[in-house]
Amino acid sequence: MKELRQILRKEFTHIFRDRITLFLVLAIPIMLVLLFGFTISTDIHHATISVLDLANDSQSKTLVENITASGYFEVVSYPKSESEIDHDFKDKNIKLAIIIPNNFEEQLTTDKFVTIQIISDVSDMNVASILNNYVKAILHDFTDEYNGTATVPIELCTQMMYNPEANSVYMFVPGIITLIMIIVTALMSSITLAREVETGTMRMLLIAPVKKAWVVVGKVIPYMILSFISTITIIVISVVVFQMPIKGSVWLLLLVCVIFMLTSAAFGTAISSLVKTQIDAMMITMMGLFLPTALLSGFLFPIDNMPYFFQILANVFPGKWFIIAIKDVMLKGSGFMDIWLYMLILFLMAAVLMTLSLIRLDKRR
Amino acid sequence: MRLPFRQQEAKDSLYSIEVKGLTKCFGEFTAVDHISFEVKKGEIFGFLGANGAGKTTAIRMLCSLLQPTSGEAMVAGYDLATQPKLIKRHIGYMSQKFSLYDDLTIFENMQLFGTIYGISRKELKDRIFSSLEMLNLEDKSKTLVSSIPLGWKQKLSFATAMLHRPDIVFLDEPTSGVDPIVRREFWNLIYEAASNGVTIFVTTHYMDEAEYCGRISIMANGQLKLIGTPTELKEQMQVDSIEKVFVKYVVR
Repeated sequence: MKELRQILRKEFTHIFRDRITLFLVLAIPIMLVLLFGFTISTDIHHATISVLDLANDSQSKTLVENITASGYFEVVSYPKSESEIDHDFKDKNIKLAIIIPNNFEEQLTTDKFVTIQIISDVSDMNVASILNNYVKAILHDFTDEYNGTATVPIELCTQMMYNPEANSVYMFVPGIITLIMIIVTALMSSITLAREVETGTMRMLLIAPVKKAWVVVGKVIPYMILSFISTITIIVISVVVFQMPIKGSVWLLLLVCVIFMLTSAAFGTAISSLVKTQIDAMMITMMGLFLPTALLSGFLFPIDNMPYFFQILANVFPGKWFIIAIKDVMLKGSGFMDIWLYMLILFLMAAVLMTLSLIRLDKRR
Repeated sequence: MRLPFRQQEAKDSLYSIEVKGLTKCFGEFTAVDHISFEVKKGEIFGFLGANGAGKTTAIRMLCSLLQPTSGEAMVAGYDLATQPKLIKRHIGYMSQKFSLYDDLTIFENMQLFGTIYGISRKELKDRIFSSLEMLNLEDKSKTLVSSIPLGWKQKLSFATAMLHRPDIVFLDEPTSGVDPIVRREFWNLIYEAASNGVTIFVTTHYMDEAEYCGRISIMANGQLKLIGTPTELKEQMQVDSIEKVFVKYVVR
């Protein structure tokens, strides 16, 4: 234990002497969250639209009111005919036009079926699909209010259920936590372990009568602590600044984070056991872990939309499981019994990789 | 065939290193090919050979950093195959590559390595300051290692390797790249350690240094070609310097 303490102390000294790295490690998460939260937000407010209300009855007026009151849309024009809509797209730069048919109220009460047409400017596909989803959500609410006798053609978007405002910060926060943990835990520990091999100090440590596990654990723990601090910072910012809910237990959330930290550390250790230089450690961690995690974990692109091969491949990277687990805890309020499988997968990944890298280190002696 | 080594206690012997048929293969390539030799206690043993002759591999096996493919060895009275931990406690090691931490101070480096060798805190502090005094570095204990010259670093590495008072110290090209004055000072440290009964196992490419050794061996292609005192070897090969012995043997 004295040896472990000494190695930990040494590692913390390295970290505190390298002020720039320390600053980056602690400041980057904060910058990332604020950046994603404020600028790369995919929420759209006050999108300019046209409404062609052919019915002009009380129900259609209520619907238009609902649309304007939602805050997502600003009706800039009320065209009188469909041909005018075309001009609105060109001249008034509207993103979307909604056409409410004749006899809206009548159809709603007697036919119990109404078709509402939406015309979107799909030159920006993301904006178009987000706006479409907003309209669908508003129509859904509208039919609910109408006591559910009518069926407005609605496709249900499951994501809307737990994030009704489709608040994109909620989607990005789990992704940012994942990437930060991979940078701070996996990248930093693989680089720092590779550095010891590169400079020859690893040999000095291994030649000493100290347990090899202590050498690795002692080097990895400080970075786990740093990434834990970053994770808590990200969570606090997203709750305080962006009002992100934590519907489930905070302790469960922290437990999931700790397990993912172990997994990241194990990936970092495993990578460092394969390489001899810091550059190799960095390249492999970035190309082999960071990038696939960013692309395949479902944080930037939905896994369901990927080709089958990539859907299978996504399972190999821990990010996917971690993101599912924390999203469930934060947004759905899932409990331990709902997410134990994801935690187990992460834990097994950590255990297997850690064992393999210790065995490999032992062979090197 | 295994020698009947006693299991836990160090074997009391005239020799501090006994090697029999030690071999290391990396796949098809035999880096060290059945080498056998003995090193007496307190001897300065020079381990020579061209680059790639297998010296470093042999040293790494003797330090129990690398598992031998076959053969056996007793190091500091312990069996390499069964007592690697005990061997580690009783040997010191220093490599050609400077291997202390650049971003730690001299004192922190020595404290780290002293502690992981299990030296108590108070005792360690005394030992660190007395060895810094010997190196005339006592006022530099708080200096970062990155800011001291290479010659000092090498002497400091040696002092660090000696902190836990090992029976044997392995020096893998300890003086490569340092100036002649520091080399002389370094060899004074080696002599002083040897006079205290520490066995010195040293590799070098400087043939004048080979002349300082009690006995030397020459390795080529993984095999131990020659072993003896510098005088013996020169007489045997009928030349007047170790350099000529070396060149004659390595070229052959």
